Amino acid sequence: MNDSKSRRLDTGQCLHAPAGRSPHSATMTRRIFLHKSLYIGAAGVSAYGFFPLLNTLDIALAATGQSFKFAWISDTHLYPKDVNTRFVEKTVRAIKETQAMNPPADFLIFGGDLAQLGDPVELQLGAELLKEVTIKKVYIPGEHDWYLDMGATWNKMFGESPWSFDHKGVRFIGLDTVSRAPDFWTSRKMTPKERMGHMATLDGTLGGAWAAIGTQQLKWLTDKLTDWPKDAPVVVFSHNPLYEYYPPWNFWVRDWREVQEVLKPYTDVTNIHGHTHQVLYNEIGKLRSIGMLATSWPWPYAPEGVPVLTQPMIRADPGDHFDGVGWSELALTAAGNVDNQYKMWRKDVFAAAPVDRGTEDNRNQVLSPRVADRL
Amino acid sequence: MTHIRPKVLLTGAGLAALVVLSAAIDQAFAHKAPHTKEQLLAFEQVFMDQVIAGDHLFHGDPATEKRLGVKLSNTGMACAMCHPYTSDTHPHEFPKYQEQMAQFATLRDMINWCIEKPNEGEKIDPDGEAMKALEAYIYYSNRNSKLDPGRH
Repeated sequence: MNDSKSRRLDTGQCLHAPAGRSPHSATMTRRIFLHKSLYIGAAGVSAYGFFPLLNTLDIALAATGQSFKFAWISDTHLYPKDVNTRFVEKTVRAIKETQAMNPPADFLIFGGDLAQLGDPVELQLGAELLKEVTIKKVYIPGEHDWYLDMGATWNKMFGESPWSFDHKGVRFIGLDTVSRAPDFWTSRKMTPKERMGHMATLDGTLGGAWAAIGTQQLKWLTDKLTDWPKDAPVVVFSHNPLYEYYPPWNFWVRDWREVQEVLKPYTDVTNIHGHTHQVLYNEIGKLRSIGMLATSWPWPYAPEGVPVLTQPMIRADPGDHFDGVGWSELALTAAGNVDNQYKMWRKDVFAAAPVDRGTEDNRNQVLSPRVADRL
Repeated sequence: MTHIRPKVLLTGAGLAALVVLSAAIDQAFAHKAPHTKEQLLAFEQVFMDQVIAGDHLFHGDPATEKRLGVKLSNTGMACAMCHPYTSDTHPHEFPKYQEQMAQFATLRDMINWCIEKPNEGEKIDPDGEAMKALEAYIYYSNRNSKLDPGRH
């Protein structure tokens, strides 16, 4: 057989792999993500076999000798069951896997966007599903939970934010980053559903820079940390990232500089956030930020602003609802670092292939904002 | 019966041919005449109307779907939920081998695949108004991207 014929046969085998999936995707190996501060001078990823797949946090404090885990689930974007059950199925899977953790997680943090359109039916469905998790649960809201009735149903069902609690030597803080959108609806005489619809559109322009902490909550945060030792671990949960990644999609909070100022004196702070639906890692000063996966669908990386410390996630298959999504498992090490394991369903987590790599795929892509919703 | 002399007949035919030819030439070279400002604005308006219709379809607007007689999704999902700003639609990379379809595909093929599979909607006429509008919106949002057909 000559070289040319051999190459063509290889191409045929590659193109006509079962179900159109690449042979690589069928391996279903998994990776552990160690954040940058942990993998300096060492391999950043290591092989990991079949595991149930969720976002959990594994805390081990040398100072107290205690170790514990906790789980993160967010961005389930539930619709009523008569619209679709696709997101319900994935939420159920994440919940079951959280509940099955052994040893059990100490608590579950739900990181917002339980509902798609803030509908009480959606929020009630989420509450019903989450009843299956019998460990302690804490919640922060997402914008999809909020703008139908300005948080009334959410607060009633899941409690108000911000909040904080101390657990085995760690101060945990939950922030509200979603309730401070500038009022674009009153002058336009929008109905609550119309307002929610605009806020539920990631690339919509009317909501503007809605993600924020706000003056009052900044003061609350300052006060809440006053009695906490500067070198003791702090974990801050927020729906939106607490740094500037990509403002047009509110991949930030608009007052992130002020937040950074408040957190600056503390040398061991980790922000764990939702909203971005993708693998993300960043450091600003002593503040580490880790972006969590959604259970619903993955967002593409933004056209600009992806932190250089982020190792991009693998390209998801749009024909596979369970690809590119999941939850996470994190650990606080003896050094006080948070170690996160993405529990992504179906494929490898990271775009590690030498010739087909995450955001580099988009180097020829130039995107422009919408015009239609401003007319 | 009056006989027309062959010379007159020939001249007449020649003149007629000249008239037809000059009209054709005028048509053929019409685009060489400079466009007026009004014409250019009208052309742009035609295009932007399509872009806006495509944007509405892409973001799941029921009124535009109804007007154009299409059903792009039966799951509540809209194209923009996975493709904000049309990100990762990569119109500049088509045509190319598309592994989900296991075939060489155009952008229109890919649009229909997304409608049918992830959105569980109803495939649209590849030459219809809705397809043209979606294509206009996707290309417009990706203008200035580097043309790179076949790339993955």
